[in-house]
Amino acid sequence: MAGRFIPELLFKRQFGTTPLLNEIRKMARLRVVDNSILGRQAELEGKPAKCIHVYNKNGVGTIGDKVLVAIKGQKKRAFLVGVRQKQKAMVPRFDSNNIVLIEDSGQPTGTRIRVPIPSLLRGKKGEFSKILACATKFV
Amino acid sequence: MSAIQRCSKLFSNNLCRTIINIEIRSSISDYKSFAGSRPKKVKNRFDPPEWFVPKKAYNYFDNLTPSNRDFLKEVAYDRYITNRESPLVDEPIKRNTWNPCTKRTGVLGVKIGVLPQWTKDGTKLFTTLVQIIDNHVIRYVPPEDYKQSSAATLYMKNRNYGSVVVGALSCYPTSFTKSYVNLFNEAGVPPKRKLTRFLVTPDAAIEPGTPLTAKHFNVGDYVDVQARTIGHGFQGVVKRWGFKGGPKSHGATKWHRRPGTIASGGRTGLIYKGKKMPGKMGNRWRNHRGLKIWRINYKYNVLYLTGPATPGPTHSYIRIYDTILPNLKKEMTSKEVHPPMPTAYPEDFSEGLPEEVFDDELFQFNDPTLMYNLDEK
Amino acid sequence: MSVFRRALIASNIRNLECYCGVQKRFSNTLFDGTLEKHRRSELSHDREKTESFPPFEAPKDYKKKYPDFLPNADWKKRDRITEKLERKDMLRRRAVLNIPEFYPGSILAITVSDPYAPGKYNRFVGICIAKNGNGLRTSFTLRNVVDNIGVEILYELYNPTIQKVEVLKLEKRLDEELYYLRDCDPKYSTFNFNMEPVQHPPGAPIPVNDIVLKIGPRPWNQKWHRQNLKGVEGLDEHLREVEKKLAEKTAEPWEKYDIMKTYRNSIHEEESERILSEVYEKNLHNQKLKENRKPLKMD
Repeated sequence: MAGRFIPELLFKRQFGTTPLLNEIRKMARLRVVDNSILGRQAELEGKPAKCIHVYNKNGVGTIGDKVLVAIKGQKKRAFLVGVRQKQKAMVPRFDSNNIVLIEDSGQPTGTRIRVPIPSLLRGKKGEFSKILACATKFV
Repeated sequence: MSAIQRCSKLFSNNLCRTIINIEIRSSISDYKSFAGSRPKKVKNRFDPPEWFVPKKAYNYFDNLTPSNRDFLKEVAYDRYITNRESPLVDEPIKRNTWNPCTKRTGVLGVKIGVLPQWTKDGTKLFTTLVQIIDNHVIRYVPPEDYKQSSAATLYMKNRNYGSVVVGALSCYPTSFTKSYVNLFNEAGVPPKRKLTRFLVTPDAAIEPGTPLTAKHFNVGDYVDVQARTIGHGFQGVVKRWGFKGGPKSHGATKWHRRPGTIASGGRTGLIYKGKKMPGKMGNRWRNHRGLKIWRINYKYNVLYLTGPATPGPTHSYIRIYDTILPNLKKEMTSKEVHPPMPTAYPEDFSEGLPEEVFDDELFQFNDPTLMYNLDEK
Repeated sequence: MSVFRRALIASNIRNLECYCGVQKRFSNTLFDGTLEKHRRSELSHDREKTESFPPFEAPKDYKKKYPDFLPNADWKKRDRITEKLERKDMLRRRAVLNIPEFYPGSILAITVSDPYAPGKYNRFVGICIAKNGNGLRTSFTLRNVVDNIGVEILYELYNPTIQKVEVLKLEKRLDEELYYLRDCDPKYSTFNFNMEPVQHPPGAPIPVNDIVLKIGPRPWNQKWHRQNLKGVEGLDEHLREVEKKLAEKTAEPWEKYDIMKTYRNSIHEEESERILSEVYEKNLHNQKLKENRKPLKMD
């Protein structure tokens, strides 16, 4: 009974729904974009990396944020390198949420990033400089 | 006496809107007697305060011919513009220097809109445009007299503040009551649509009748803004206070946007004062402090202030005055050019003014494209 | 009810009714009519001088060429002087940077100053998916597929860091917004960064690319079947019967006959003509300046 009535209720009442926000939170599936073996295997199996934690004050990750990711049964840190979320002016928006896997030491797992990276990441220092060394193209 | 002089006298006595059988006085009983009701002893919540001078009590349709109406406008123009009688003052008011403890007059502007601007770093910022239309100082009350007036609160009485009444948007006197028009005799200025009061230190004393323009402020200075927020009318608790309401399905009976419990039940037996409930939302006075003036257009008397969120909708009144924030005042003191005291006079700009003045950090669209230096990293 | 109370209540209500209504005496907001009267009133000490309207009538294609000069039609936020000052800024910027005419569907190349790039500039090529906003807030999105990944960048037209705007191919498409390219085959969004610009003879009509793309499989980014798109086909194959019925139910086919809606969202013809003639006058003025500049003497 309830299942039959609820769709009608949906049309009668005004429901405030937000548009698709494409935010990266826990449980978000992410695409590994470097040439690491882990990333490639996970993609082939059809079980992409899943975000477990966002190293951020709020749980929403953007370009340049560090993220904890579950891949093939193991936990790995990664950096967000491209996001599907709507961005401010001059910041590129990608068609997939891209990450670059990182070891605990800060060294990237892969040697090359096969996808363009936003140019604003060049301004970031510290752990990012190693990732920028692997990058092929900037957008 | 010439015809025009005779007419302008008539103006001040009879031709202003006089309500037949009534003279507006300070006592409430007299004010109410027009309606035909007997004088009340208890003051009604919506009765005006004793010092209030109403601008217009009711619509009085006089069947003037168009030529007579135009003639009245001519008379007003002659009285206020061509044959302007300068208010007699014993001595011209002294112009003191600005120091961080002075409080100058403010200005009554109209919010015009919001425009984006860019800084020289390339960052975008939104600016509110405020136009200062036709401002005049109408009255100055020195601190000794102001303290004794009924309008002064305890706060004002303990401090040495004078009061300046500023008016915006001149109108023809035919649309106001006699007593309202007489408020402007001291200044020799046409009656204004809107009046406001600013508290002022005695060293910033200003003569009634001085015009105020955008030159009152300097680019790069900081300003506080007071205005009435956008009125949303009677609103429920979800919109007004951000309550979460109730579930939209799962059998919730008529409980989607209600506040729920309002008190703890039998324990206290009362609802606390200030309980968030539905009511009139918006249309309240709010202060925004420390807004920077990025740009001034002297041709149209427009100020560009930081932020898109100045209170009020477009075409609403705004009170603007120098900041009270201490750190920003320090910045203002450390500059070479201080705000003009008590306001900017035409003799300060004998060399002429540019049409627009920009802050140093603001990108001017005449400049070439912003490019970053190759030497910098 | 006392007069004062009536006045208090009146001031609580937002009096943004009709332009020709009676300005309420005690209200906090002013009507457009009253504000304009006061700006030009004889009694004001800083009276605004009446401007002479530009004598030239702008050519008819100016409305399509310079749509960003027409203000937002939302009358609650409009003001004559704000728009005037905005247009001044826009014309100043246009005197420095050449902003060509383009439409959604054209292929552009944009060079932007980038503090982090070597050489301090960054170039991006892409198809214009959408052009939004008016005045100084005009923005457009460029889309391209780079290394098998779709990239979209939003640019503000009057941002001072934009060094160059080149139109590599000037054309239009069947729709005003091409967001459906995200769900179509990526080959339709790929454009070479070193693409040769296609010459467009000045004065010629803008070519319309009639291409109709086939939509990719679900999930889609938006509900394309509810948007009356002409540049996509093959939507019905991917839809269920329920969804098709819902789309019919929620459709508003009467919208195209809603004259009042179009009237409310557009600028009056006379006003737009006046605005565009200002732009035309300024363009002529700039042209004259260029012609009057004497050539350098090379000895």
